[in-house]
Amino acid sequence: MIQNNDFDVPKIVIVGHVDHGKSSFIGRLLYDIGEIQKEKFGELKKASKKRGEEFEFAFLLDALQDERDQGITIDTTRIFFKTKKRKYVFIDAPGHKEFIRNMITGAASADIAILIVDVKDGIKQQTKKHSYLLKLLGIEKVITLYNKMDKISYSESKFLNIKAELDEFLSNIGIESYTSLPISSKKGDNIVSLSKNMRWYHGQSFVEILDGYKIQENNKSEFIRFPVQDIYKLGDKRVIVGRIESGKIKSGTKLIFLPSNESVYVKTLEVWPKAKKEYEVGDCIGITLSDEIFVDKGNMGSDLERPPKLTNRFESRVFWLSKSKILFNKKYLMKINTGEYEVSINKIKKIIDVESLTEKTKINVQKNDICEVVIHSSELIPMDDYSFNKSTSRFCLLDEKEIVAGGIVDIRNYPDQREYKDNFKQNIVPENYAVSEIDRSIRFNHRPGIVWLTGLSGAGKSTIAKNVEKRLFHKNINIFSLDGDNLRIGLNKNLNFSPEDRTENIRRTAEVANLFTKAGFIVLVSLISPYRSERKKARDIRPEIFREIYIEASVEVCSKRDVKGLYAKAIKGEIKNFTGISSPYEPPEMPNLVINTSRCSVEESVRKLEEYILKEFSF
Amino acid sequence: MHRNLRKLENESIYIFRQAYRSIPNVALLWSLGKDSNVMLWLAFKAFLGRIPFPLVHVDTGKKFKEMYSFRDKYVKKWKLNLIKGSCPSIEKVDSTLPPAARSAARKTEGLRKIIKEKNFRGIIAGIRRDEQGTRAKERIFSPRSDSGAWDIKNQPPEFWDQSNFNYPKSVHVRIHPLLGWTELDIWEYIKYEKIPVVDLYFSKNGKRYRSLGDEDITSPVKSSAKTIEEIIEELKVSKTSERSGRKMDHEEENVFERLRTKGYM
Repeated sequence: MIQNNDFDVPKIVIVGHVDHGKSSFIGRLLYDIGEIQKEKFGELKKASKKRGEEFEFAFLLDALQDERDQGITIDTTRIFFKTKKRKYVFIDAPGHKEFIRNMITGAASADIAILIVDVKDGIKQQTKKHSYLLKLLGIEKVITLYNKMDKISYSESKFLNIKAELDEFLSNIGIESYTSLPISSKKGDNIVSLSKNMRWYHGQSFVEILDGYKIQENNKSEFIRFPVQDIYKLGDKRVIVGRIESGKIKSGTKLIFLPSNESVYVKTLEVWPKAKKEYEVGDCIGITLSDEIFVDKGNMGSDLERPPKLTNRFESRVFWLSKSKILFNKKYLMKINTGEYEVSINKIKKIIDVESLTEKTKINVQKNDICEVVIHSSELIPMDDYSFNKSTSRFCLLDEKEIVAGGIVDIRNYPDQREYKDNFKQNIVPENYAVSEIDRSIRFNHRPGIVWLTGLSGAGKSTIAKNVEKRLFHKNINIFSLDGDNLRIGLNKNLNFSPEDRTENIRRTAEVANLFTKAGFIVLVSLISPYRSERKKARDIRPEIFREIYIEASVEVCSKRDVKGLYAKAIKGEIKNFTGISSPYEPPEMPNLVINTSRCSVEESVRKLEEYILKEFSF
Repeated sequence: MHRNLRKLENESIYIFRQAYRSIPNVALLWSLGKDSNVMLWLAFKAFLGRIPFPLVHVDTGKKFKEMYSFRDKYVKKWKLNLIKGSCPSIEKVDSTLPPAARSAARKTEGLRKIIKEKNFRGIIAGIRRDEQGTRAKERIFSPRSDSGAWDIKNQPPEFWDQSNFNYPKSVHVRIHPLLGWTELDIWEYIKYEKIPVVDLYFSKNGKRYRSLGDEDITSPVKSSAKTIEEIIEELKVSKTSERSGRKMDHEEENVFERLRTKGYM
């Protein structure tokens, strides 16, 4: 009788160098424990005979025609099997180095890892690479199988030599070798029962080892992590759905949501057909909140005691899966938990040579390299350090076409910017607004936002802003345009164009924009705002709704247009501190959108920005 | 519910929600079999008692009459938004395929047609890894070209519940929320959740259907299992494959792979 009812079905990944016998081992195991369906075995035996080749146990797995022809495993296969004790799923990971991405796909979800080595062939490149990747994927223990013992006449001394070598490598990368077992898949030695061919081996057979293996709970953290997967409107209820990554949630649980930094109670649990009293790690649930605060897809709910850090800069160890190199000026899409962020890679700290465990000397990465990088985002991202919570600290990076990398977060040396944000309010206690932002935005049917247009004088900021304002107003969007020149007539009358005054000009404008967002508006700000640091300060007032739009046009193009005749005056020296002529302009490093007005028509530019705003701020 | 089932249920709900959030215009393939009923049930769970996208039944016109009456009953009872798709006649299908597979390939064509007509970008299908070798190789989110073809040798990576959804408009994504379930899991879940299934699964005169397809290319298997409990007991000791009654799988060695790379579920 199988006693699987109260246990998980452990997922086993088996990794190792190409041709070291992963598939053959699985085929043999399944055959020996009587798991092969008779008809399948018969069909394959018949087919091999027809082709005039010797039957191999690997054929049972390599069900794809191609794989039988080439004799290698291309993708991960899942095979279910049961021993007397419990059920398992085998993930057969390909060893060929072209297929690392498939190996990762297989291994990322494994509970038990097996590393297989051909004792005749020895420890090879992929043996080491796979071990290293296992470690990156969060696996800290492996069962090591020393295969093809029949080919070295079951020699104990040869086995011990190679075992010593592998154990040393594994301990260097922080992986524990749980058991080392000499086997032969071909002959069936030590797989289901102990073999007479290796009387010197006094351990357990593979099946006994497997059945005795205790599965680690992958997330025991008591601190709540509840990434918001989506928001469903059910009648007049706003249900926040997500999966609990750690901790427990019930009605009355107090949560803080990041990045908005607002806290709230769980009002009800929403599960169909009927909710239980309490939910825990792994459960996909819905909740409603005691107060209508602003929560969006990708936000992170957590307990108040130990929330994740909020940061826009972090280090990471990544595996690079793409053929193209890392580009520093490129925007990648980072997916972490349920959130998506635009990021750039600022620096490659080192590329790791997996064989020697030293640093590689090359400057950029190649496909399947493992490296350490510094990543920067324009938005604040809630995240944990990998050592603190595995499931909320791993991410993937995508370019326009595909997943290019996976990585784990290292923010041990980075400050929590959430605290920083709170600190400067020290002695002023703000009065709460009587009408909350969420109530306003529900009435207006869109979220508030600051859309900050930066670029040279004459690049087209005001023209685009005016047109977009008009068009969105007619689409019932509550929108207002703040123009740098207009503000200088009133509020900023006392400011000139010195660096200090420009800074103050930007600060005031950003604060006014902020007030408008509190009233539920989407604010278009057209301001040259030439310094990166000042634009960052503007962003930091409300980073979650701030979007930087670079209206790009060269000085040549702008001075040719010269609508207001200012360039002519500046060139003659009649205007001092004129951006682009006598004062610098620092283009944004990571704008949310770039509109190049020397290439796009006004109409096109307006449409681009209009679409962007609708996409970003509608519900 | 025991831990394994709860884990599978949660995984499926997560996939449903991810698909609905990330892919515009999705539809759920309802083939009326046990797996797709479980899938429907899980969709109710994921979206809290409603299904916010249409169901599609690609009708070969050759299903068992019990299946059609089951469909009509539950469309009403559960207020389902069902789109019926039709399949071309057998003459229009690849004539190099063996007869039963060729018959099954009609469904591929029917599916391709309805995807194009309705401009679906995501198709949720109830296939499982333990059913068949090539299905074992599937991704949860599996992109297909506009002809529906599956590029097995070049599948995208998928890890930590993250996938790529940014594909050109000509590509649709197959979504497989049941990929990690086994036949036994399906029956245990049906039992626990009391999910209705067609009577053909239960033994009559010493035979029952273990997998349901078109009437002319599906045979019953020997079995005395008359209840869900008996089916569960039977599966725990069974050494024959679930699809042994599906003729299309056994005509030639690689025929199922050929069907699937061309767009079959």
